[in-house]
Parts: sequence; structure tokens; C-alpha cells
Amino acid sequence: MEPSWSLHMLSEILSAFSTEDPDNLRNVLNRVAESVDAEVAAIFCAGQIDWCIGLSEADQKQLVQQAEQQPTDIPIRSGALHACWAPMGNRDMLFVGRLGERFDLEERALLRAMARSIELSIQMLRAVSSERQARKDAYQQATHDALTGLPNRRMVLDRLRSAIDHPVGDDSLVTAVLFIDIDRFKWINDAHGHAAGDQLLIHVSRILKEAVRHGDLVGRLSGDEFIVITRTSDRNAASELARRIIARIRQPLKVAGSELSHTVSIGISFAHPGDNPSSLLENADMAMYRAKALGRGRYASFHSSMRLQAQQRLSLEEALGHAVGNGEITTHLQPLFRLSDNTLSGFEALVRWQHPQLGLLLPGAFLEQAEDSGLIQDIDMTVFEAACSAIAQWQHIAGLEHLRLSSNLSARSLADPRVKERIKVILETTGIQPSNVYLEITETTLVEDIDSTVSTINALRDLNVRLAIDDFGTGYSSLLYLKRFPVGVLKIDRSFVNGLGMNPEDEVIATTILSLARALELEVVAEGVENQMQLERIRELGSDYGQGYLFGEPISIGDTERSFIAPRRPTAAVLTAP
Amino acid sequence: MGTESWVKVGASTQTSTTEALDEALAGLQTPAAPKLVVALVAPHFDLPTIAEGLHQALPTTQVIGCTTSGEIAPDGAVAQALVLWALGGDAINVTTGSGQGDDLGLRRAATEAAHCLDQLDQRANTVLMMLSDGLCGDQMEVVRGAYDVAAIDVPLVGGCAGDYLAMRRTRQIHGRRVMSQSVVAAAISSNRPLGIGVSHGWTPVSEPMLVTGSKGNLLSSLEDKPALDVYLNFFNPPEAVRTDQAAFATFAATHPIGIRRRDKIEMRHITGFNPQTRELITVAEVPQGALAFLTEGDFSSVLDAAAQSCQSALAGLNGEEPVGLFLFDCVSRRAVFTEDRVHEETDLISSHCGQVPMAGFYTYGEICRTKGAGGFHNQTLVTLAIG
Repeated sequence: MEPSWSLHMLSEILSAFSTEDPDNLRNVLNRVAESVDAEVAAIFCAGQIDWCIGLSEADQKQLVQQAEQQPTDIPIRSGALHACWAPMGNRDMLFVGRLGERFDLEERALLRAMARSIELSIQMLRAVSSERQARKDAYQQATHDALTGLPNRRMVLDRLRSAIDHPVGDDSLVTAVLFIDIDRFKWINDAHGHAAGDQLLIHVSRILKEAVRHGDLVGRLSGDEFIVITRTSDRNAASELARRIIARIRQPLKVAGSELSHTVSIGISFAHPGDNPSSLLENADMAMYRAKALGRGRYASFHSSMRLQAQQRLSLEEALGHAVGNGEITTHLQPLFRLSDNTLSGFEALVRWQHPQLGLLLPGAFLEQAEDSGLIQDIDMTVFEAACSAIAQWQHIAGLEHLRLSSNLSARSLADPRVKERIKVILETTGIQPSNVYLEITETTLVEDIDSTVSTINALRDLNVRLAIDDFGTGYSSLLYLKRFPVGVLKIDRSFVNGLGMNPEDEVIATTILSLARALELEVVAEGVENQMQLERIRELGSDYGQGYLFGEPISIGDTERSFIAPRRPTAAVLTAP
Repeated sequence: MGTESWVKVGASTQTSTTEALDEALAGLQTPAAPKLVVALVAPHFDLPTIAEGLHQALPTTQVIGCTTSGEIAPDGAVAQALVLWALGGDAINVTTGSGQGDDLGLRRAATEAAHCLDQLDQRANTVLMMLSDGLCGDQMEVVRGAYDVAAIDVPLVGGCAGDYLAMRRTRQIHGRRVMSQSVVAAAISSNRPLGIGVSHGWTPVSEPMLVTGSKGNLLSSLEDKPALDVYLNFFNPPEAVRTDQAAFATFAATHPIGIRRRDKIEMRHITGFNPQTRELITVAEVPQGALAFLTEGDFSSVLDAAAQSCQSALAGLNGEEPVGLFLFDCVSRRAVFTEDRVHEETDLISSHCGQVPMAGFYTYGEICRTKGAGGFHNQTLVTLAIG
């Protein structure tokens, strides 16, 4: 006895479902139609056709219009389509249409069973798809960074391990790791907010993806640290890639109306057989720090000597954290003399670190770490408070009432919205005359980050303190800013003073700065005056004040008291400049 | 409104490609530039030279073509030949298309090729002719992909390109391009009637069996038993057939599998077997859940089918005389006839149709969808009659 062919067609429908095939339902409809020699099959969802085979668009529209009545005959261009409607759940419907013979009872029963099978299969398909999506999402979450969508540290390490252990293709190619760090990112976050920082991270990730070749890996390790893993024919190719990335990222980025100026520093390391992925990253990290030390916006390749430097830098960074709390950060003062009458007019406060093992450290040894770690703000205020306290006391001495103080304010401090309050408290508790306080900021800080610092600068104006522009002439100050902000002093950078009498260009620059200052009614301090000749020359050029070893090197507050203040107490003779 | 249509055929068995092309072109003797030329090419010819030569000779004519496993010319079956079938006349409109695929992308390739219908200025009767790579995946997908565009109104005819049973590579021509693993198509529309016939002549010899395991073109089990074992146990062929792939292929050419559809049996050609998995390898899918038969044919039944296919195609012309025929004839039917008597099939067709220009080729599978949504066949003769 021949078995009923129709019952077995059900399993054909089920077998057509494949979770791998995006055209799943279209294939199922083909099989439904083929099994009963029908020309048309469609799935209706909420009265609209989701999938259809066999009908032109015009005929499909006609079918939709009649779907509600579920007619048994539908006229189309090719003739009368005999219809079979089979429900799929409450809302959906399987439609099958055939020219020629009508569907008999067995076929109708078969198609109803098929509709039920399709309904169940769709549910199963959705469940499987949803589980797959969940697995995919979990994998994505575990291996990719949520903000940029780039592979995260875990995936970077996996890929790096695979690249070292199983290099693919040309044996002459070497795996290179580029460790990319956004310079002063913490500052950008503080100054412009985390949303702006996030935008910058996304921007950098996009540029990196554009800069690399297909097959290279771009990842985000954490914070502002990115990684590129590439295969290069030689070391120069990796350097060229680094140069290209630096140049592209250097382009200003507009975020929330502000233009961010940013650079990246890049460290490069090259893999050797048997290397450990983590060590390779560390090497690239060390090279990156070397690039930063060279002046940011640069790249450097790893060399074994960097490991020792990195260890020293790390231990210094740890110790610096304790130094602020332990009172190891001390204030030194360097005298400032008025050139017209050779009298002491004030001091510049300078930071020193009295390291328990290494002795007295100059700022160059630790300021970069202080900037990177954010400790610079506490250091700025520590130095400022100690200097204010000393100067305020000395202002009580007859003849020293107008003793002025210059103290450095780093870019990060300037961008810190709390800085005004901290300065205000120090001014009030020490009792120093605010009008004699000059906060020194570098020309670069003033110009580059003008949008974020303008509110702090205006707040400082309210406190009646003034700004001194440090290292003037090395940047690109806008005259507008000099006029707009409470700038009282321009400091001629020591590099120009050094060249006086020897380098005509330095002479021209110094003369120009002085002319500019006179036009803007600003005072000028010449830094780095070390000999008599320089002194005579800056005096001739018309500088108001001089500062440098010729007048006195930076010394502790106690030594300053002994050397410069004690002689000026009422019983002592007046000290004059050399 | 144009009323004239004509078909011309040129053929050559010259071994040199350029000489064969020149001779075939000279044999066409068309009254005007053809609208379409279908090039049926034995695989040894240089196809790029043929495609370029046709373009140079007939720059305004649409060209499709493919390699074959034997050609049919007006005088009957030929071998190692180049045959050109030219269609023209003011009643005819033609557009052509192609799609590049692989064994996973056949459906998409067929859909791309079939989109030539979008540019066709359709007249009273339209047919989509398709030539596909028969060694590339499940050919049911070609029909499904073309049907996505052609839909219910446009019948499909066609065949799978061959390589004289070397089973290594077939090629297709579209314009000046020569491709592999592709589908090429010509949409033909005419103010005059077009007729299509299909018939095979194979008879079930086994009880119907449930296909309990199949995927793509691998048939793994019938009634839950390994398909190869069921097949060999039933026919009990000579020992060589059980172990040697070539001997098996020759035997299977005359012992295909039939799939029961509602009112017909659709044939599936078996191309080989896997001795480890005990699977049968077919040209197109034998759907899981379907009822299958083991079939046999003999000389007369297969010959009768040729007459039937031809008569059906002529019936579609509504009493008008044909101006030409195109035949898609399965290569395994040629094996049934044997080389000595293969001419009897075309003689029979000529006796039904008169001396109209006729061409065609021996295929690795035939396409004919005139009703229903399916339409891939094996061991079958599909006839397109041009009215």
C-alpha cells in the first residue's frame, strides 16, 4: 500500500528551515508551492505580505486588498488563482495559490498542517536567533570596547599571541605593535567634560581604523590607550604608519562648539618568536613614554635601555604620590629686581622635591609624572600657599609692602573649576595682597585651551590677581587675548635673553616683545639674566624687571629670609642689585 | 506591430575555433541581424575567441551560450561541434543577463540573470531561457532564483551546460564575457506564439519510498536505509558498478530516481556515490519527505517521450506553424539511444515538425517551469517551439 504522500511533505517543510540561511522563509515558500504544484505562496503578517513567491508586485497589491475576505478565487493576469488560506497563529496566514485545479480536501489539510509547522518553526527560529544574538552580544561585550566598538585588551592579547605563535603568510614580515596614547587626555576630560573626551576617543578610533590596512588590528586597551597590530616588511614601514597616524590625529576636532587641539604619542615594539604578548605591549608602552618625554606628538621605537628608565619613572611616580602628603614638595623663591632702580621687587615661587633618597629634585625630574597623574594641581597649590604665606609676612616690613609674588599655574590647574575657590582661600588665610600676586601661565596654555580656561581666568580677575605670561615668544599668543585677559606681565623667555649680544634674531624678538608690551601697557620681566652684559642689554632695551642667577638663584624660603629679607628689616642696610 | 519571426541555424564540426566560427556564421544566412544568438559549443573550442568573434560579426545581436555534452544541429545529433541558433524578426524582442555565483550563490546568480526581464519590452508571449553551470550546486536553486523575478507570468526553459561527461568544468557566454559557475539568461518576447514541451519516458520500477534523509544534492537515506545500498540492492548491477565511479555513472544514466509530484514524476539524474557515507550524489535535490521511485527506461519509451515533448511544444503554438525549435536534451538520454541510433530522436522530431531549423544541446539537467513553482528536471527533453 502506497503511503500518503502528503503527510511526508510536512517533514520537507521542516527540513527547509535552516538557521544559517537569511532567505529561510523564501525557501520554505518554494517548498510549499513545489509540494502541491502551486504557483504562488505567501506569508501574511497583520494583513501585509511578508514573503511571497510567484506574483509580480502589481498582483501582490491586488492580493493584499482582498486578503481580509480570504476569497477562494483571485483573478490575476494569468487567470484565476485558486486560493487556500491557512492560519499561522492569531495574526499570520499562509496563502497558497494555484492556476488550474482547485485544492482538494487532502491538500487543504496538508497546507493547514504546513502552516502550523511553519508557525512553530518560525518560533523556533526566533528563539534560536535570539539565543545566537545573545551569545554574539556576550562575546562582543567580552572582547570589544563598548564606546568605540574596538577589540579590547583581552582580544588584543589573543590576537597578538596568535600573531606571534602562528604568523600567517610571508615569513619576511614582522609583527609590529604601535602603542598610541592621547597626550594630556586627562586634562581634556577635566577641561571639556567626559562627553567631549568620549567624542575624542571615538574620533581617534575612527582615524586609526582608516589609517591601517585591511588585516591590521586596532584595539583600545583602556582609557586613552589604543593599540595597532600590523605586519610590516621593515621597521621603517611601522615608523611611517606612526607618522601618518600622528599627522592625521593632529587635525583639530570640533566638539560642542570648542576646538580641541590634541596630539598622540606612539611607542613601537617589534615581535620576535617566543615573545610574550604582555611584554610586547609593555615594551611599546615604554617606547610611548619615551616619545612623550621627547615632547609629545612623536613616536619612538623600543630599545632595551628604556626598561630601566621605565622602572625609574614608575618608582618616581609612586613616590611622588606620597611626597605631596609627606611635605616633601617644597617652595623655593627666586628674586625679581626692578631694573630702573635696582631694587628687589618680588619673588617667583618655584617647586622643588626634597626626595628622601635622591635629594633635592628640580621640576624637570618629576613634572611630567605630576601632570600625567593629576598631582600637579595639589603641587601648584602647595607651592603657592607656602609662597603666599611667606610673602604676606614680609609685606608687613616697611619698604616691602608691595613685594610681589609670581607663582606658576599649570594648564591642568587652570582648567580645574575648583581652582578659583582654592586660590581665594589661600589669599584670605595668608593675608597677601591679591594685587601683588601674579599667576604665571605659559603662552601655549593660554592659546591652546582658551575655551576651557576663559572662565577660570575671568574668575581670577574677580579675585584681583593678575596673570604673567611665561616663556613669552615661544608660542603664538593672540594680541586679543593679551588685551582681553587680566595680563599684567610678559616674561621674555630665557632662550632669547641668552642670545642677546650674540644672536641678532634674539635681539629682534626681545625688542619686539618689549615694544608690544609698551603698546599694551604691560610690564616685562627678562628671565635667565646671568651676566652683566645681558643685564646692560635688557636695561637698554627697556625691560622693567630682571630675573636670573645674576640676581640670585632659587633658594628655600628660609634662605630667602636670611639672604634677602633680613637685611631689609628696619635695622639692616638696603640691599641693591649687582 | 511586428509579425515576422525567424530562426536560422549554423553549425560546424571544424576543429579550429576560427574556422568553425566562420563556417557556422556563414551557415546562418539570416535575412537581417538576429535579435539573439545562442552559441552551443563543444568544450575544446576557445570560448573567448567565439564570444569576441560573434560580437565582431554581429555587434547588435544579444549573445548567450555555453559548453555542452553534445550538440544538436538541423541534421541531427553531432559531436565536438559549434552550433549557432539565431532568432530574429520584427515580432521578437530580446534582452539578456547573467549572474556570477558559486555552489552557495546559485539562487542569487539566477535572480541577477533573470533581471534582464526588467528591461524587456514585453509582447504577447514571453519566455526566459536559462543556461547554467550544471556542475555547481543544487540546480533547483536556479529555478527558484529565476522564479523570484519571472513569477507566474513568464515560463522558464533552459539547460545545464556540460563538458562531455568530464565533470570538471563548464563555461557560459554572455556577450563578450566567458564565465564559469554562472547563470546566463535570454528573455524572449514575441507577438507570435511560443510553445513549450517536456517529457522523459522513464517508468517507476520500485515501490514508492520515503526520502528520509537528504540535503542539497546528497541523498543519504531512503526508508531510513542508506540510499546507495537501497539502490544497488534493488538493481543488483554488475560488480564493477558497485565499486567503480565511472561504471556506476554509466549505469545510473539509465536508472534515474523519480520524485513524485502531485500529477507527475520529476526525474533526478544520479552522478555518483560516496562509498564511505553510502550516499547518492544527484544533480539536484531529492527533497527530504518526498516519495521517490527507482526508474528504468528503454529505447522506445525514451524515444516516445521525444515525440511527446515535441507535440506539447507544437500544441502551444495554437495551430500556427513553427519557425524553429530549440531542444534541451539530457545527456543520459543520449546514452540510452547509443551513438548508432541517436539520430532517431531528431528524425522523429523532424517528422513531427517538418523541416524547421532546429538546434539544441545535450545537458546536465533541464529547466522547464510552465506550471507550479518548481521545474528542474533530469533525463528529460524540453522543447521550445518558436511560432
